[in-house]
Amino acid sequence: MQLKKTIYLSTITAAILTSSFLHAENYVSVEYLQYDESDDRVTVTAPMLSVSYDFNADYNLKASIMYDGVSGATPSYMTNEDGDLFKGLQDFEDDRTAASLLLTTRFENRDELYTGIDFSREEDYQSLTGSVEYMHYLDATHNTAVNVGLSIAYNEILVYDGDTGASAYDGDSGASHTEDSMNYYLQGGITQVLTKDSSVKVAAFIGSDDGYLTNPHGRIVRDYPTQDAILDVENRPDNRLMYGFTLKYNKMLTENISYIGAYRLYADDWDIMSHTIDNDIYIKLTEQFTLGVGLRYYTQSQAEFYHEEIDYFTDEKYASSDERLSDFDAFTYKVNIDFKQNDTFSYNIGAEYYDTSTVTELSATILTLGMKYKF
Amino acid sequence: MKAFLWFVCASILMVGCTGIEEVKPWEKEVLAKDIMQFEGLHPEVKKFEQHIYFSKEASRGGYGVSGGGCGCN
Repeated sequence: MQLKKTIYLSTITAAILTSSFLHAENYVSVEYLQYDESDDRVTVTAPMLSVSYDFNADYNLKASIMYDGVSGATPSYMTNEDGDLFKGLQDFEDDRTAASLLLTTRFENRDELYTGIDFSREEDYQSLTGSVEYMHYLDATHNTAVNVGLSIAYNEILVYDGDTGASAYDGDSGASHTEDSMNYYLQGGITQVLTKDSSVKVAAFIGSDDGYLTNPHGRIVRDYPTQDAILDVENRPDNRLMYGFTLKYNKMLTENISYIGAYRLYADDWDIMSHTIDNDIYIKLTEQFTLGVGLRYYTQSQAEFYHEEIDYFTDEKYASSDERLSDFDAFTYKVNIDFKQNDTFSYNIGAEYYDTSTVTELSATILTLGMKYKF
Repeated sequence: MKAFLWFVCASILMVGCTGIEEVKPWEKEVLAKDIMQFEGLHPEVKKFEQHIYFSKEASRGGYGVSGGGCGCN
């Protein structure tokens, strides 16, 4: 009888632990990601190594390192050999190394504290971010949890404003000076188990960017088509206040098919408002194979200081022709296959197609290949 | 905007129809499955996707407080 009771309590304890919102397991994963834009524009190759290790039931450490090799060309206003202004493709090459550490601390009541640090470095940019987040269960059955988190980032940017011609855009040297910026970000939310096979997560966020927010490689044309027409560095406001919320929902549709949906509303004081709808369906085909398909829709309005036309800007203080600040829609179509060889090794392969309605009709393919080793 | 309104209505309807049950800890086997995690089956791939979107779109935020910066935007 005592043994039966012990087994019963052990089962409950195990169930509580496995039902935590964080998956506790040790693993090493390697992912290789390839991003290719249409018209031979930007290509990114990015290998990533991630490790997750549970020191005991109370502490978990996740670490990852990622290298991006970026090359290609991006749309920009420029001058040709005759000094004529036009919009063309500006060649560039860069690489980025990013590393992150995330320590999870679980307390006696199974509340969790996440402490993170992120670092990334490029030839003309580096960033250091610190973050902390606390999750508290509101009930003994762990059906409701609230969380609040904060992150602060410091960024340093090399600026090239001595020469606005094509030769300055090599990202290697010739920077006239450095600038910096800070990002402050606060997020709070609630996760609620709805039924045995569905739950919902709602979060609100507010953030502030302060400092040099201009793209130092972005170019605009002023006073076109007069004789005083010049190619100038774009200029963005020195601060941006952003806010929004996300709503995530998961549901087991059948014994082997799950649905994960998400919606995000974003708005900022640059007049940009966006809506993002993300849908993923996972189908467990066999014990070993899982098929994933997804569709993401994104739409945004343009920043108040954005204009595409070459003849728009004269003496405006804030001005940008960076099409990422324009009014556009984007769809992403996703498919991936996961193969679980055994309890230790699993492999994944995926393909995505990203299609936008920007002025230059950017589209891209994303290929992913990965392996995970659990121990 | 239309898509947004449809999504909100559908979500409210879906959640409303589902209701909230008190689920016991030992009844959460389905919720603990890897294909039920909000970050998806491959959180690393999601992280890379967010990196791409951050570099190509003007919005960010809403997906957690951790994560590094990038000069790509």
